[in-house]
Amino acid sequence: MNMNNRNFVRGLCLMAIALVFGGVSFNYTLGELSRSGPGLFPLLVSSFLFVIGVLTVVRSHFVDPVPLNYSLKNISIILASLVGFSLLSQFVNMILGIIFLVFCSTLAGTSYSLVRNVKISLGLIAVAFAFKHLLGLSLPLY
Amino acid sequence: MDVLHNLAFGFEHALTLQNLMYCALGCTVGTLIGLLPGLGPLSTISLLLPLTYSIPTGGALIMLAGIYYGAQYGDSVSAITMKIPHASSIVACIDGYQMTLKGKTGLALFTAGVSSFIGGTVAIVVLSTMAPALGEVGFLFGPADYCALMLLGFFCVSFVSSGSLLNGLAMAMVGVLLGMVGTDVNSGTARYTMNLPFLMDGIGLISIALGCFGIAEVVKNLDNKNVLTPFNGKIKLMPTWPEFKRIIPSALRGSVIGSVLGILPGGGPTIAQFAAYAADKKLSKYKHEIGTGCIEGVAGQAAADEAAARTSFIPLMAIGIPENAVMALMMAAFVVKGIQPGPNMIGTHPDLFWGLVASMWIGNCFLLILNVPLVRYWLSVFKIPYTVLFPAILFFCCVGTYSINNSLDDIYTTAVFGFIGYLFLRLDMEAAPLLLGFILGPMLEENFRRAMLLSRGSFTVFVNRPISATLLGVIGVLALWQTTVFILKLIKSPDHHIHTDGHGDAASKAPAPATAAASSGALASGE
Repeated sequence: MNMNNRNFVRGLCLMAIALVFGGVSFNYTLGELSRSGPGLFPLLVSSFLFVIGVLTVVRSHFVDPVPLNYSLKNISIILASLVGFSLLSQFVNMILGIIFLVFCSTLAGTSYSLVRNVKISLGLIAVAFAFKHLLGLSLPLY
Repeated sequence: MDVLHNLAFGFEHALTLQNLMYCALGCTVGTLIGLLPGLGPLSTISLLLPLTYSIPTGGALIMLAGIYYGAQYGDSVSAITMKIPHASSIVACIDGYQMTLKGKTGLALFTAGVSSFIGGTVAIVVLSTMAPALGEVGFLFGPADYCALMLLGFFCVSFVSSGSLLNGLAMAMVGVLLGMVGTDVNSGTARYTMNLPFLMDGIGLISIALGCFGIAEVVKNLDNKNVLTPFNGKIKLMPTWPEFKRIIPSALRGSVIGSVLGILPGGGPTIAQFAAYAADKKLSKYKHEIGTGCIEGVAGQAAADEAAARTSFIPLMAIGIPENAVMALMMAAFVVKGIQPGPNMIGTHPDLFWGLVASMWIGNCFLLILNVPLVRYWLSVFKIPYTVLFPAILFFCCVGTYSINNSLDDIYTTAVFGFIGYLFLRLDMEAAPLLLGFILGPMLEENFRRAMLLSRGSFTVFVNRPISATLLGVIGVLALWQTTVFILKLIKSPDHHIHTDGHGDAASKAPAPATAAASSGALASGE
C-alpha cells in the first residue's frame, strides 16, 4: 500500500477513471443487449477497465516498486502560459498573447534572458503573420 | 498489367507541379520537425495537421504522407547521430550510433537513406497489388468481425507500444471512454458532456494528440534538464562499392519483413524494425558484427521501418480500420477532408488512392535526393538551444488547436490534456494506445451495437462467424501467453517477486522497448 509506488498508483487511477465513467453511465438508458441504450457500452468498457485496474494493483504486489517522481513546477508554468495566451488573445490580441507565452513559458527553462525572449517573440510574431497571410489561417493578431 | 495501369493513373495525379510541391514541402518539414528531440512521427503529424486544412484534398493527403515519412527519416537521423530514440527509431540507436562513434556517420546516414528507399519501393509494390484485393475482403466483414478486428488491434498495439499488455490495454480502454464523450449518434443523448456546449461534438482529436504528445513531451524534456550536445563530426556520404553491396541483401530482407508486419493489426514500424534486426542477426553474412556498428544493423531495420510505414496504410484504406496510432491520425485527416477510408475508397476516389500511392514513391525519391545530401544542414537544428525551441513548439500547439474551429476555447481543452498527458507520462502509461482507442471507440460501439441487434443480444455471433472467431482466438492466445509468462517468472524467482530489470522507466524510453524487442523477436520467429 505504498502511494509512492508507480504501478500501484496507476492501478488506483485506472479504477477511479472506470468508476467515474461507469457511475455516470447509469444516468443514461441502459436498454438490453439486443437493443442497447446509450449507457450500456460505456458501462461494459468501464467494467473491463475496472478489472484491468484491479489486475494492475494485484500485479504491483509481485513486482518491485518503481518510485513515482514528478515535479509540479514546470507543468504549472506551461499550463499557465497556455491559458494566459488564450485569454490575452481573446480579450486583447494574439501579439500580446505570444509575448506573454514566451516570457511566461521560458520561466520553466534552465536559463532566463530578456534579450533572447524579445528575439523569440519577434520571430514567432513573424511566423504568425506568415500563417495569417500565406496560409490563410484567421489568427486574431491585432 | 492492371496494377501498372493504375499506377500510371496515380502518377498522372501525383506529378502535377502543385502536388510535387506539397510532397517536397511535407518531406522537408517532416524531416526538420522529426529531428527535434521528443518529437516522433505522432507529434510531428499532430503539430502539422492543421497546416493542411486549407489545402485541396489530394495535395493535403500527399503532404501528410510526406510529413509522416519525412518525420521517420528525421527520427533515424537523430538516432544515428545523437542516440535520441523515438518510437520509430529505437533500433537505429544501436548500430547507427555505434557507427557514429566509429566516425562512419555519413555511411550510416547514407545506408539508412538508401535502405529506406528500397524498403519503400518494395512496400509500394505490395501496397498496389494487395490493397485492392484486401478491399474485396473488406466487403466480407460484418459488424462482429469489425469488433473483433478492432479488439485485436488494441491488444497488438498495447503489446508493441508499451511492452506490457495490461498497461496498453488500459490506455486503449481509457481512449474508448474518452471517445464516448459527446452526443450519442443512435439516441441523441448527450454523454459525459458535463453540460458544456463545446463538448457536444466530442473532444477534439487534435487537443488530445497535441496535449499528450506535444505539451506533455515538452514538460518531460524540461523536467529532465538534459543538455544536448549538437553533432559536430564530419559527414562523408558516398560509400565505396563493397560497402554499397553490403546494403542490398539486408535492405531487401528488411523490406519483406517490414511489408508483412506492416499489414498485421497493431503492426507498423516499431515492431518491424525489431523483427528485421533480429532476422539480420540470424541470417546475415556479417552477423557477428551486428551490434558493433555495421552496415547490416542499419540497413535492415531502416528498410523494414519504411516498408512497414507504407504497408500500414493497407488496412486503413482497404478495410477502414487504422491499425496503429499514426494511422488513426491519418484517418482523422481523411475524415476532415470528407473521405471515409474503407473498402469503398478505392472505388469512389481512385484518383486519391492511386495518387497517394504514387506520391509515396515520389516522396521516397525526394528523401533520397534532397534529404540525404542535405543532412548536414538539417543537423544544424540542434544548434538551437531547447530554451528557444520549446516556446515555439508551444506556440505551434496553440495555433494548431485554434485553427481547427477558429476557437480559442479549444486551447483550454488542449491544456487540460497536456496535464492529463503529463500524469500519464509520469505513471508510465503510453499515450499511443489511448489515441487509437479514442478514434476506434465510436466505431467499436457502433459495430458492437449493430452486431448485438442482428444477433438479438446473443454473444454467440462473435464465435459463429469464422473471421471474428479466428481474430478472437488470436487475442485469447496472446492473453494466455502473457499470463503464462508472468506466472512462470513468478514461480521461477526465489522470493516470488519479480524484479524489474530497468523495465519501463519513464525517463529513458530505451529499456522498455527492449522487452518489446524480445517479444517481437519471439513473434517473428513464431511465424
